[in-house]
Amino acid sequence: MCTVVPALAVQGPGIFPQPHRNEETEEHSFLDNIFWMAAPKKRRTIEVNRCRRRNPQKLIEIKTNIEPCSECGNLKQKHVLCGFCYEKVRRETAIIRGQIQAQEGKPLNNPAVETVVLYEGEKPADTDAGKRIVERKRQRPSWFTQY
Amino acid sequence: MAASCAVGLGVSLARGLVRYAEASRLLAPCRVLPQSCIHTTTALEGNKNWERKNRVLHQPQPPEETRRAAEVFHCRRQIKYSKDKMWYLAKMIRGMTIEQAIAQLEFNDKKGAAIIKEVLLEAQEMAVKSHNVEYKSNLYVAESFSGKGQYLKRIRIHGRGMFGIMDKVYCHYFVKLVEGVAPTEEPRTGFDQAKEYVQQLRNRTIIHSL
Repeated sequence: MCTVVPALAVQGPGIFPQPHRNEETEEHSFLDNIFWMAAPKKRRTIEVNRCRRRNPQKLIEIKTNIEPCSECGNLKQKHVLCGFCYEKVRRETAIIRGQIQAQEGKPLNNPAVETVVLYEGEKPADTDAGKRIVERKRQRPSWFTQY
Repeated sequence: MAASCAVGLGVSLARGLVRYAEASRLLAPCRVLPQSCIHTTTALEGNKNWERKNRVLHQPQPPEETRRAAEVFHCRRQIKYSKDKMWYLAKMIRGMTIEQAIAQLEFNDKKGAAIIKEVLLEAQEMAVKSHNVEYKSNLYVAESFSGKGQYLKRIRIHGRGMFGIMDKVYCHYFVKLVEGVAPTEEPRTGFDQAKEYVQQLRNRTIIHSL
């Protein structure tokens, strides 16, 4: 009786491929890659940290360009419009825009003429002949000059 | 600092958290205690010492003594902001008059600036209403600093199954307003510091000598 020696189904290379070893080398290479990365050598002491965090370059500079608004008295920056006055004007224009929207009805319906805003007790002048008139039921504000 | 990325593996961190929870349960306030060590506050409440400073009652002053300046202590707790970032604003307004401080904070773009401005206005109102301050602009910022509040912890997921614990930072802000004009400190020159150092050396004595 001759024993049959089990033979390889596939005639492959002498050294078997070892997929298990590949995973290990991947892990090692991940840890190895860390070796070449920059890392702090020593803990930065709180004294060193304080020197960095508190040096004058990092502190907030105080502004010398703040002054009171001549109209309302609130504070403003010299090169910027007063926030309070701007808000006041913005509210009035929002109301006027709402009225214009109501007059027009649908979007992109504006007539090809100028618009004139008239407050209480004001009549349209001769120069406002063909213009669109928006009525506001209040006294004319001091900052919205007519002429 | 804010995001403490302690990269750890899932299981060991879970064990650590469980241990922390068990320890805190063991140290919970007991019902029966001897009178000397009664805890009336829990760990979650924190110290409220700054608010208590307003309730201090001084002895009446003799007529010849200079009038003690009125002091107002105010604070805001658990502000959703970083204590380190808040510190820069607190440092900026130290020593300023209250009007100057409010002006600077109004035009500062930081998130904490609006909050500190609210606190200062509240303190100013408190001073005039209940702390016998005559003029609301006659106040200056004597002390101003920030402290760490109670943080919430969240999980921040990294790659490769790693995670870190993210802190949701909160801070407290404390301010002390004093009536009157701020005392001007002369800037100490290097020469002054050297003089003081030499004086300290000269003041040393040898103990147990003849």
